[in-house]
Amino acid sequence: MRLLVAEDEPKIGTYLQQGLTEAGFNVDRFTNGKVALQYALSEAYDLLILDVMMPGMDGWEVLQKVRASGKDVPVLFLTARDRVEDRVKGLELGADDYLIKPFAFSELLARVRTLLRRGCSAPSQTHMKLADLEVDLLKRRAIRSGKRIDLTAKEFALLELLLRRRGEVLPKSLIASQVWDMNFDSDSNVIEVAVRRLRAKIDDDFEVKLIHTSRGMGYMLDAPDSESE
Amino acid sequence: MKRMSLTTRMSLMFMLAVTAVLTVAGLSFSNLSRHHFKMLDQQALNEKLISSQKILTGMSSINQFSEFKPELEALLGAHRDLTALIIDGDGKLLFADPGPVNVPEKFRTRINKDLWEWSDQRQMYRGMTSQISIVGQDKPLTVILVDDVTQHMAFFETLERWFLIGLVICALVSAALGWMVASNGLRPIRQVTEVATSMSAKSLKERIPLTPVPKELQQMVLSFNAMLSRLDDAFVRLSNFSADIAHELRTPVSNLMTHTEVVLSRKRNIEDYEDTLYSNLDEFKRMGRMIDDMLFLAKSDNGLITHEIKSINLLEIVEKLIEYYRLLAEDRGISLAVSGKGCATGDVLMLHRALSNLLSNALRYTPEGQSITIDVQQKELSTVIVVENPGTTIAPQHLERLFDRFYRVDPARREGSPSNAGLGLSITRSIVEAHDGKIWCTSTDGKTAFHIELPSIQLPTA
Repeated sequence: MRLLVAEDEPKIGTYLQQGLTEAGFNVDRFTNGKVALQYALSEAYDLLILDVMMPGMDGWEVLQKVRASGKDVPVLFLTARDRVEDRVKGLELGADDYLIKPFAFSELLARVRTLLRRGCSAPSQTHMKLADLEVDLLKRRAIRSGKRIDLTAKEFALLELLLRRRGEVLPKSLIASQVWDMNFDSDSNVIEVAVRRLRAKIDDDFEVKLIHTSRGMGYMLDAPDSESE
Repeated sequence: MKRMSLTTRMSLMFMLAVTAVLTVAGLSFSNLSRHHFKMLDQQALNEKLISSQKILTGMSSINQFSEFKPELEALLGAHRDLTALIIDGDGKLLFADPGPVNVPEKFRTRINKDLWEWSDQRQMYRGMTSQISIVGQDKPLTVILVDDVTQHMAFFETLERWFLIGLVICALVSAALGWMVASNGLRPIRQVTEVATSMSAKSLKERIPLTPVPKELQQMVLSFNAMLSRLDDAFVRLSNFSADIAHELRTPVSNLMTHTEVVLSRKRNIEDYEDTLYSNLDEFKRMGRMIDDMLFLAKSDNGLITHEIKSINLLEIVEKLIEYYRLLAEDRGISLAVSGKGCATGDVLMLHRALSNLLSNALRYTPEGQSITIDVQQKELSTVIVVENPGTTIAPQHLERLFDRFYRVDPARREGSPSNAGLGLSITRSIVEAHDGKIWCTSTDGKTAFHIELPSIQLPTA
């Protein structure tokens, strides 16, 4: 997966590049809007991450020109300005998502993956399997090592989310938004409790642990032997 | 065009009023006396005319005229200003006392009882004409009585001239008086203005004294003082807020600095570094959240949280929130109960956030094993949501300030999670106020309740 990052602030730019590269992406970084536009038009990227304020050309103009050339590549905006008009403008120009600085890197990563996944709609699975955990999405039933596990509706939704995005660290805010529809900064202790309970049912009685805590960042579901993407 | 000063305007008006009253009075007086004099003249002339008529009709023929002449002279010659002419039918002057006067032709023949007047050069006359038939004469005698009224007229002219001079003097004097009255009367305004001018951001505590101010200005001074209080309040809040921001950010920054420096002061193993970074991350997240919250409050202060207006089922929101917080509550053995129902109009996400803060707050202060109740009451014009939790009673002096930014009942304590920066209730209040609602807190007998009242205008369902 090839990403373009246009960010003129050297520190953020470098760390974005490093973080995304380590997450398995191929990252080209530019600090000038005009240069970024040239590359965005000539090369094939899977996703553009654009800062709004840039020398040469601002992020909005880059986006406009990219869309004008007929490219449908997903675009994520980074902005330090949090005004409603700014968001509306970005989204009207055809941005797919935006993040307001300061943001957590885990949040950015989760959003990048969401955007990349959007294009290739996952086949509607009815069964998912990870190690010895099997989940039937239609019957809403989870079985581990042949043993039936009773889950509440929300616990099942949480498990499904973790399973669909296995191997990814999911920030608490994303879990709160996807499972409980809490689309604002809410008390994140709730997610801790929810994960602890799910873990008690899924992991506690078994040798192999599937749910992992990424300290300070979020939670991940993964089998120890499976390779990360 | 520059507006006239209040003093000038008032003195001018005063002058105009005085002049108008005097003019009306003077004109009426002058007209009335003229009329009165005219009546007197007419009466006098009429009497003389009747008397002469009596004398003349006493004659048996015109030849006797000279016999009656002394009698006529006695009657008509007594007045200095009176001239009498008697003319016979052929136009011959029979009698003229004291001497002939040039009476215009048209008045000679005007024999009705009307008073006529004419003036030649300097003299002014009033006169009456009558015809008397004498026995044996085919043509009647004409009697003309003329009164010289020049002196009356001169008197009126003098009167009017003096009146005009008096009027001008009165106008000037009244303008001066008006100016004095106005500037005296307006002195309180000037004093108020002086105090108002001397106000600056630093002296917002000063108030315009109310006692020496006249009744008419009291309302204005009261409003002005009220405005000063509001300004002062906002100003104090603003300065406190800036100080609070500095303080609140200083704590995590100094934590970060100390921690990082200590860790870097000597070589450590990788776990220690990892640990430091994790703890830094927590600290950064806390700061990031605080910045977000403060930006939100700043935007709401400037009316920038443009919310979309929709009809909202509040019970739905509360139930969703309860579902979210149930895990946390169960963990601490707290039960959540909801009752009632109600609607409001506004932004779902915002109200969600406002109620979430209240619930999270309630969970933080409720002792284990107790229960939180949420009641939604639909009233006629509004919907009231009450979130009540058992816990330590909050002293009344804190209740109002509870919604202030960074306000803590006990400044030495930072309750709950480190993410609790003391902005949650401020945000809730901002949101409620952006929805034209009210929020208040009551706390008695170990129960604390937050009340939100939202206007419930039903939107036409689309």
